[in-house]
Amino acid sequence: MTKDLLEEKINQLKPKDLMKALQVFREKLNQEYVAYLSSCVHCGLCADSCHYYLADKDVQSLPAYKLNLAQGIFKKYFSFFGKNIPGLVGAEEFNQKMVREWVDSLFGRCTLCGRCSLNCALGINIHYIIRAARSALAAIDIVPSGLQSTVDTALEKGNNMGIPSKDWVETVEWLEEELQDEVGDKQARLPMNKKGTRLFYAINPREPMFFPLSILAVGKIFYAAGESWTFSSDNYDVTNYGYFSGNDEAAATMSGRLVQSMEKLGCKTLVLAECGHGFSAARWEAPEWLKKKHDFEVKSILEVVADYIQQARIKLDPLCNSDPVTLHDPCNHVRLGGIVEEQRFILKNAVSHFTEMRPNREKNFCCGGGGGQLAMTRFSQRRLKAGQIKADQIRKTGAKIVAAPCHNCIDQLTDLNKHYKLGVEAKTVCEIAADALIIDKS
Amino acid sequence: MPFIEVKGKKIEVNEEGFLANHEDWAKEVAELLAKEEEGIENLTDDHWAVINYIRNYYLEKKLAPMVRKLCKNTGFKLKYIFELFPSGPARGACKVAGLPKPDGCV
Repeated sequence: MTKDLLEEKINQLKPKDLMKALQVFREKLNQEYVAYLSSCVHCGLCADSCHYYLADKDVQSLPAYKLNLAQGIFKKYFSFFGKNIPGLVGAEEFNQKMVREWVDSLFGRCTLCGRCSLNCALGINIHYIIRAARSALAAIDIVPSGLQSTVDTALEKGNNMGIPSKDWVETVEWLEEELQDEVGDKQARLPMNKKGTRLFYAINPREPMFFPLSILAVGKIFYAAGESWTFSSDNYDVTNYGYFSGNDEAAATMSGRLVQSMEKLGCKTLVLAECGHGFSAARWEAPEWLKKKHDFEVKSILEVVADYIQQARIKLDPLCNSDPVTLHDPCNHVRLGGIVEEQRFILKNAVSHFTEMRPNREKNFCCGGGGGQLAMTRFSQRRLKAGQIKADQIRKTGAKIVAAPCHNCIDQLTDLNKHYKLGVEAKTVCEIAADALIIDKS
Repeated sequence: MPFIEVKGKKIEVNEEGFLANHEDWAKEVAELLAKEEEGIENLTDDHWAVINYIRNYYLEKKLAPMVRKLCKNTGFKLKYIFELFPSGPARGACKVAGLPKPDGCV
């Protein structure tokens, strides 16, 4: 029987480890966070906003319950009443049992999707507090294994799948030949390390490793638009699993790599592949982690492609995509990222039948794969169950294709498709747009 | 952790059906994983070409091969690999070949 290493690590925690976790938690508590930890009145409005609670109706899945786990510790160690009359204010001891509960609820029952925060009557950013608690656990190496190993691989190998640079470069060369065949132009390029181009395009390592068609699709769109752009042979990974594990130092290292590539290449705009958390991390969080403002522009590829259509730099034929298409809104692109209409604009130009799922946009439900859930195998059955609401949403649209501008969502949607027998296919928005491209071969 | 049973022997898998210990792999294990995880009743020579390449590459390098190498060495088009293993190279072919779940967004 394989040992549960996480459980062993929890059993071996010493008082000094627990103190260290508390100290990291304390460092996170600025005025805003303290206000959040002091405001919840347990009204329960958040209950129906959470895909976990809707799936299992387990009190431990309630966002207010998860928040309360952090509140109990905050009160016990950092509040006057909690220190003096803990029993009266719900203050809780931070011990191995509590660490176990934090792991189960704050790693295992949350995708950091922010839907509860949106529905909170008091405006508490519950997912901020949950991430802060994850940071405390990460500081003492208590992170579920698949999530931790993805962070470790990225730190050690430069990208989260440990792809050697040579293999990445060879894959791009191979795809360049495919592109040339597809557009009928031997001059078509997928540029590598080209200095001074307008755009640097950062990708998700899973694309060259296992799913290269999404790279080819974007290459084809750039070709059609006559774009000045480049890949980089290193520091190209758009993902940032430190964002999920709560390890800010690791997150800063990963974000810093994209900055290094921008400096090395001298490009104007960092363009991020369809990766929800990668977008949130690079565009919104990185300046915090790095303590430095970006001196370049950061855009999602969705913004870039929407601009091409608007400026008539590319032409699409919606008849090329005649199957009914619906759209999944990745939490980190939409609710937490602010990229809402671009993907709709692209799809309305690229497909003949587009149907929204309901609810949508910032009110959309998480697919259930975010927050590092896909990497945390120990919670995978729960993840599939929590995805039921998404499966129902998709089924109701009658769509055959689910567009999802996030590779992480695509994997969860593919899993849901198999588990709930939906009979759909999940694709990136750019894959769909590339299929509709009209290439002028003259 | 859950188990699968092959020829009366219990073999440990993780919650997503990947082998817990890649040494437990055998031809019969692959056949069972293919059936239960991928819905493939009979593994053809083409399936085996993919499985054997992935497995040997992993045993040598402790890493799954890039899909480019898989295509190049088997002579199969990418689209055909997805036809052989509907869940794709990661959750389909690598799982049947007995590899542990890869790190990253998969």
